Amino acid sequence: MYQYSPEDSKFLVERVDQFEKQLKRHLDGDLDAAKFRSLRLRNGLYMELHAHMLRVAIPYGTLNTTQLRALADVADKYDRGFGHFTTRQNIQYNWIELSEIANLLRELSSVGLHAIQTSGKATRNITADPLSGLTEGEIADARPYCELIRRWFNLHPEFSWLPGKFKIAVNGAKLDETALRVHDLGLRLVRNNEGELGFTVYVGGGLGAAAMVAAETASFVPVEDILSYLESAMRIYNLKGRRDHLKKLRIKFLVRELGAGEYSRLVDEDWKQTRDDPELKLNLTHLSELEKDFALPIKPLVLDDFEDKVDFNYSIWKKNNVRAHKISGHSIVNVSLTKLGAAPGDATSEQMRILADLADQYGYSELRTTKRQTIVFPHVRKDQVFDLWQSLEKYGLASPHQGTLAQIVACPGGDYCDLAKAVSIPIATRVQQRFDDMDKLLDIGDLNINISGCENSCAHHHVADIGLLGMQKNGEEYYQITVAGETLYKTVIGKKLGPSVSGDNVVDAVEDIVNVYLDNREEEEKFTEVFKRIGIKPFKEKVYE
Amino acid sequence: MSESNELEALSATLGAKVAESRPLDTSVLNKDNESIKLVSVEQWIENVNELSKLGVGVIVKPSDDVKLLKGTLNDVALIALDFNNFDDGRGYSQAYLLSKRWKYAEEIIGINAHLDQLQFMLRSGVTSYKLLESYEGFDEHDYTNGFSICYQAAANNSGLKEKF
Repeated sequence: MYQYSPEDSKFLVERVDQFEKQLKRHLDGDLDAAKFRSLRLRNGLYMELHAHMLRVAIPYGTLNTTQLRALADVADKYDRGFGHFTTRQNIQYNWIELSEIANLLRELSSVGLHAIQTSGKATRNITADPLSGLTEGEIADARPYCELIRRWFNLHPEFSWLPGKFKIAVNGAKLDETALRVHDLGLRLVRNNEGELGFTVYVGGGLGAAAMVAAETASFVPVEDILSYLESAMRIYNLKGRRDHLKKLRIKFLVRELGAGEYSRLVDEDWKQTRDDPELKLNLTHLSELEKDFALPIKPLVLDDFEDKVDFNYSIWKKNNVRAHKISGHSIVNVSLTKLGAAPGDATSEQMRILADLADQYGYSELRTTKRQTIVFPHVRKDQVFDLWQSLEKYGLASPHQGTLAQIVACPGGDYCDLAKAVSIPIATRVQQRFDDMDKLLDIGDLNINISGCENSCAHHHVADIGLLGMQKNGEEYYQITVAGETLYKTVIGKKLGPSVSGDNVVDAVEDIVNVYLDNREEEEKFTEVFKRIGIKPFKEKVYE
Repeated sequence: MSESNELEALSATLGAKVAESRPLDTSVLNKDNESIKLVSVEQWIENVNELSKLGVGVIVKPSDDVKLLKGTLNDVALIALDFNNFDDGRGYSQAYLLSKRWKYAEEIIGINAHLDQLQFMLRSGVTSYKLLESYEGFDEHDYTNGFSICYQAAANNSGLKEKF
């Protein structure tokens, strides 16, 4: 697994030293609140409802067990014993003292973790398919490219003060587990007719109040030219992006206002002047060396006499949480942290240490985080999956509802976040309580419910089968419902079902929608397939009858 | 030319337009400690023939289209990029275009500069800077050269090449 070099680690410490000085100047009254805000956000630090929140990057979602234990230690030492795994491969701590931030960041830097550019108007943590390198038919492992792009845009002199935040995702797999086209910029690894590797580039996607699917701006950018292309894409945004209207800062508004064709033309015009610059060409020898660092730690296994255990609960869990690995004799295991009444993605320090111990024992000391706020054991021997399940079950981490509707994605919502208009977690809990019948959950199958407490859409409700968006109406909490959003096979923004529904009635509405799906489902049809066949009307009629 | 004569010549050239908008006494000390008069991009474009003989500099605001200067860059004595707005990053791209792409060889000074942004400015192509007064007394070195490595090529040729 890739590890930071000593010079990378030194850089992380230098960055903490600098931030500590800036913090001191702020506390001494020599750096005003507005400028300090801009600087602290670039170090992942928010001022939230009750305390400071720190967002730590998990680059491309890959963690080793030493790192996970360090995250657990931070949770105990500096927070209240837990952390929150986000939808974009970060972990957040909600109860951080300003005076302790530098020590915390120094501890993390010793294991190659940091909070650099996890917020602020710069390139954010670059996300990758959490199953990078693991699935059949993948074009290439996205992670070495994420790492190269991360480095290049780390404190980039020209692009660290953009009009708005800039989120990049990279996917090399057939299915899109990253939601590429709702990112500011999405990169899909592809091969051209000559078999050469490159990227299809999508720009201007995003969720929030104006959800948009990113436009394709280049069908094929050779891998060696990707840095120059990204610079041109950002340069046009930096120079022409809206800075005059707080709600129009993201690149999606620029692309919409210029038109995707005109934006692409401007990028191409700029790119023509830099793509042959040797300083901006990726060195393919260095790339292949980096790829070796990301090589899988396993070899094919022949398990001739292997027969998996027969156990009812194990079978149910396995159906929803274990996937085929491209290397024979291995499986990919998904672990959900979702518990009734707790924020999805929340993990206690004890759970983190348990997962680290189990990953050392069964998973080659590697873990991945996903946009569904779950933890993946990327490589588990097939003949050890049952043992792993038994251990997970012992610690309450293998309930059979995982991978069903009950595994809801939700932001921290009004209970924790000062941007929220409504609560998220209590709604998630009530939905889980409504659907507590295991037979029904299994019958429904994999159906995503995502709940965001405000238009910032941290829970990605637009791209869920059923999305709930919290809002205020006359001082009361209401929820706008969207249906049939998706990203896995193609990217579709969910359709608004109708007028928003009060907090009291929203769980009934969710149940109505699920029942319309079940009543109309033919064979193994997914929710979005049923929706495409029967349209929005039956759902609307049932909810608003 | 004395300073008052210089001002007079400029005033004559620019006429009433100056009085309407930007004060003509805008000037900056260059790296040799000489006072250089600054005109706006619009003033420069409209009066380039006259101004190019006077050795004036051009002040570029974030909202200015720096491409307008491209054809007459050789005649501009100095370019002052205004970094007063902490969160407006257009100056960094302007510096890059002037310095790296169009090879502007004279001084590019970052004015109204902020301590915490010095490294970004210098690496984008700014060649000198004038900090806002509120930063007097702080160690600039921490912010011009605070890191042992930089992860990308930059206009001032600093940065790590071997990682890419």
